[in-house]
Amino acid sequence: MTAATAVRPAGERAMRARRRGGAGPARHFRRYWQLWVMVAPAIAFVAVFAYVPMYGLQLAFREFDFTAGITGGDWVGLKYFHQFFESPQFWTLIRNTVVISVSTLVVGFAAPIGLALMINQVVGRRRRKFLQTATYLPHFISIVVIVGMLQVFLSPTSGLITRFAALFGVEGANFLGSEAAFVPVYVISDVWQHAGWNSIIYLAALSRVDPQLYEAARIDGAGRFSIVRHVDVPALVPTMIVLLILNMGNVLNTGFEKIFLMQNPLNLGVSEVIATYVYKIGILANQFSYATAIGLFNTLINFAFLLIANQIAKRVSNTSLW
Amino acid sequence: MNPISKRRGVAALAGLASAALLLSACGGNGGRDSDALQILVVKHPLTGPMADMGWVAEIEKAAGIEVEWEEVSADWDQKKSTMLAAGDIPDLVIGANAVTDSDMVTFNGLFEDLSDDLEALPNVAAMFEAVPETELMATRPEGQIYSLPSYRRYWPQTATRQYLNQQWLDNLGLEQPTTWQELHEVLLAFKNEDANGNGDPDDEIPIDWAPAGEAGFGYFAPTMLLGGLGLPITNGGGSGYFVEDGQVGNFLVDPRYRELVSFLHELYADGLVSQEVMTQDYSTYQSVGRGEGDVAKVGFSWGWTASDRFGPQLAGQYVSTSPLLGDDGVDPGDLAWSYDSYSLNFGLNTITMSAQSDKKEAALAVIDAFYDQDLSLQALWGEFGQNIEELGGDSYAVLPPSDDTLDPSSWKWTTTLADNSPGWIREDIEVTLPSDIQEAVEDAEPLADALANIDPATDIWPGELIKMNAEDSSRLSLLHTDMLGPAMQRWAVWITEGGVESEWDAYVAELEGLGLTEAVEIHQRYYDDYLASRG
Amino acid sequence: MTGPITALRGNTPGDLVFKLVLALSCGLVLLVAVYPIYFVVIASVSDPTMVSTGQVWLAPRDISWFGYEQIFADSRIWNGYRNTLLYAVVGTALNLLVTMPAAFALSRREFRPRRVLMFFFAFTMFFSGGLIPMYLLLRDLNLLDNWLVFILPSAVNVFNLIIARAFFEYSLPDDLHEAASIDGANYFQFFLKIALPLSMPILSVIGLYYLVQHWNDFFTGLVFVRDYSIQPLQIVLRDILISNQAFSGGAGGAGGAGAGSYAQQYADQIKYGVIVVSTLPVIMLYPFLQRYFEKGVMIGALKG
Repeated sequence: MTAATAVRPAGERAMRARRRGGAGPARHFRRYWQLWVMVAPAIAFVAVFAYVPMYGLQLAFREFDFTAGITGGDWVGLKYFHQFFESPQFWTLIRNTVVISVSTLVVGFAAPIGLALMINQVVGRRRRKFLQTATYLPHFISIVVIVGMLQVFLSPTSGLITRFAALFGVEGANFLGSEAAFVPVYVISDVWQHAGWNSIIYLAALSRVDPQLYEAARIDGAGRFSIVRHVDVPALVPTMIVLLILNMGNVLNTGFEKIFLMQNPLNLGVSEVIATYVYKIGILANQFSYATAIGLFNTLINFAFLLIANQIAKRVSNTSLW
Repeated sequence: MNPISKRRGVAALAGLASAALLLSACGGNGGRDSDALQILVVKHPLTGPMADMGWVAEIEKAAGIEVEWEEVSADWDQKKSTMLAAGDIPDLVIGANAVTDSDMVTFNGLFEDLSDDLEALPNVAAMFEAVPETELMATRPEGQIYSLPSYRRYWPQTATRQYLNQQWLDNLGLEQPTTWQELHEVLLAFKNEDANGNGDPDDEIPIDWAPAGEAGFGYFAPTMLLGGLGLPITNGGGSGYFVEDGQVGNFLVDPRYRELVSFLHELYADGLVSQEVMTQDYSTYQSVGRGEGDVAKVGFSWGWTASDRFGPQLAGQYVSTSPLLGDDGVDPGDLAWSYDSYSLNFGLNTITMSAQSDKKEAALAVIDAFYDQDLSLQALWGEFGQNIEELGGDSYAVLPPSDDTLDPSSWKWTTTLADNSPGWIREDIEVTLPSDIQEAVEDAEPLADALANIDPATDIWPGELIKMNAEDSSRLSLLHTDMLGPAMQRWAVWITEGGVESEWDAYVAELEGLGLTEAVEIHQRYYDDYLASRG
Repeated sequence: MTGPITALRGNTPGDLVFKLVLALSCGLVLLVAVYPIYFVVIASVSDPTMVSTGQVWLAPRDISWFGYEQIFADSRIWNGYRNTLLYAVVGTALNLLVTMPAAFALSRREFRPRRVLMFFFAFTMFFSGGLIPMYLLLRDLNLLDNWLVFILPSAVNVFNLIIARAFFEYSLPDDLHEAASIDGANYFQFFLKIALPLSMPILSVIGLYYLVQHWNDFFTGLVFVRDYSIQPLQIVLRDILISNQAFSGGAGGAGGAGAGSYAQQYADQIKYGVIVVSTLPVIMLYPFLQRYFEKGVMIGALKG
């Protein structure tokens, strides 16, 4: 809890505190104890359930040895990291993972914003409610069923979408068994499933726009499109920045289950990602140390991107996570 | 709210987290009675509760103390790895390969070594004597026995039978094909004409097969055709290992495999193969096989039995057929088929005991009870009276389902542990089989000659009988993960788009670079030891 | 109170184009979003073979209620509903009690330690010790096979915390607090009297996020709970689903030679039925929360 004050040498801290008239920490707590009380439960929960188990990370640097306990195996340093870097699959995995996650991030970031702006324009409470409910429903369909529906709709012989595509001259397309179509199918179905759900947060943000701003814009002679651009969009910017920063921390993350279920030998060249590889190697073959090491590598890269994004955001827009 | 009560409210809120933690510490209800023998059963999802199985009472009697069953029927693998790694296992774990060889290697010390308990297990010792393969399957390279297999005796030697729509042949006045070339011609006729006679010449799928995973080949895959080139495979192909003249090989880099891929591409290019063959899931594959009403859609395919593959309504249209000769140069005496007896007639690692168990005596008694003559039958097919009739003098008859909405196989899986159970079906007893096994055995007759060409002792890779040490099994799983992805991808692309001839050499070099040579060497080493041990 | 538009009269030509584009895109979005749901519903009562061969897409065919009969024939499902309801309500209450005050505190710019604390929280979004240490920890806390395991470990979702904090930062101007403290309000009072009422939209969004997280939680029950009587709905549904998905992936082998055609046939129907059964309660809840997204809440609160 003293982490914030501990960053400065004690002497300097004491001097500053004296200048303000009171001992530093004591004064701080007298003034802000209520805030500490409010944040304390969250700190407690995170400390217990997130930080305590973190000792497990050292497994990435140790041999998993059951008889010696999780953390009792021989220290092997970076052996498993090297193993991953030297794996013949390494660059393919990185490439596939980045392509899928970045496409999902870009499209998946923009779509809910557009959707929220659109829904917000709809006149009439009932219509708006209906549209909102309808678009957020697909979020609740399980991945198994989503992939099952893709199978049915994209079947090269009987699929609805395949037949629709045939009307435009794309005959007998095999969307599920083609490397070129894998990423678009994955991304589009993902956006389709989650855009409505993800737009909720933006709708909440739009709800706090002061109606007087609309009035004023209207009096200035702004058209509806221009009102959206100059009143609604700015209201979303803070939320957008926060979500963008958080998204940047996902560059090496992809949904595991959906990709795994969509995999088939024809698209394996683009659909084998880090998550599926870890599953095959770590879970199915009991390679705990190797799986932990790959997971940790993933996390470090993601975290680095988050740090960079956060720094940029801080400079550019004065918004940041910390 | 006045300010004071509000302040109290927030303070209470702050304390809530810690209070909840305390609460959990006091209110924890482990729910497990430590005086009872705990048995975890990995059941088939269809299987009903243990309490409903009549024979379970006899197992409990054998235990001599109270038994607590924990029943798992879904997502066992996910539950298991955490449970094992935390060392939190019940006294006994039951279920076909519920604890795998790889688990035994990784979680060294967690399981009881039964090799010094055999006096307490007379039934098991007798089974080792009568069916020596069971002892091989149970014994680790260093001599320990951590788990016991089951022996079912009556299953056919292969899981995959080859089916052809005889009605279509008759409609078109064609003969049954005996070679790949003839098959090609028959399939062409299926495609070009209205073979099912429903007026639509384009709705026939001449040939279809089961979806292959990314990790190798399974049952009902077209790798069956490799037998037509004299290459004997096991379990539908697996990761590709086979044995020929004492040498272990991998067919993924064998010229005969190239020949097969090239043939399948010809079929695909002619539009004879289902367009969805590489992307469909197993349930779509089965649905398509069932056709529409009494109109069949598929001409030629592989399956367990005709009624399972095509549904009871269409099963009558199909006949099972003999293996097809790959080319004229192959001697019919070399014809082979997938030999699956070690996985069909035996259940690997069906019962495992915890090394920390403090009810060792009861646990051993339960293990041995499962290998009793009568209990083995009941655990496999269901209880006496309801599922099996005792005819006296070591004769038994498995009864048809009393619930007539169920087929015999679903009936078995619903009422008992079936293939998940440990047990030993003796060679000297007489059992009238249920109709599903009868059908499988009958439909396998056309394959009998090809299977007779295979000597299990010298002509196949006996994966189930070979146990590897920790280092080798972990090395192989890495090599396989890296190797099989590209191999399966090439399989799919070559069949649908062609290119096997021009890309073959580069592909072989690639797989060898990914460790195929090393993997084959490891297999060879164990195979040599295995041959030596069998004398 | 409706949207911003009704208050404004008169259409420019640009506005007409705007309206047209809006109507068209709403129609398209509606179609694209509603159709899959519609498909799930009709597939849940149609013949599964017809569904998987692409013959069902406009109306149900060969209607049968077998899927629902199977789902509701299982007595465990009511127990599952009850458990899930309990975990969702108690869990969400705890989530909000912990998250909202923390988010508020962390949004106060004068609270200097907040940056370090934010880092402390955000760090856990990325680094975790993995399943095995978690299992051991829960065992030591006596939380295995204990219903609190569905509630306590997930008490704080850092993503939700960050979102809520961002909202407080934006919607509570600094002068608001200054004004309040001149009136003698301390942080507790300011939070309860001013910040919370102003934040009903975000409170309801975060509440919804947490509720759905609890509702869909499947993994906790799978890995940390072996006592079936406290398993949530998702586990029960999963078991019903699996038991009807018998043998997919191939007959034979250790799995079971001799596939039952009975099970195969209805697996898909149950799959779709399960979606309907598990989603319906959440769908019905949404309209209640939705009113907080309506305009004017903030202004009303300020004036009142």
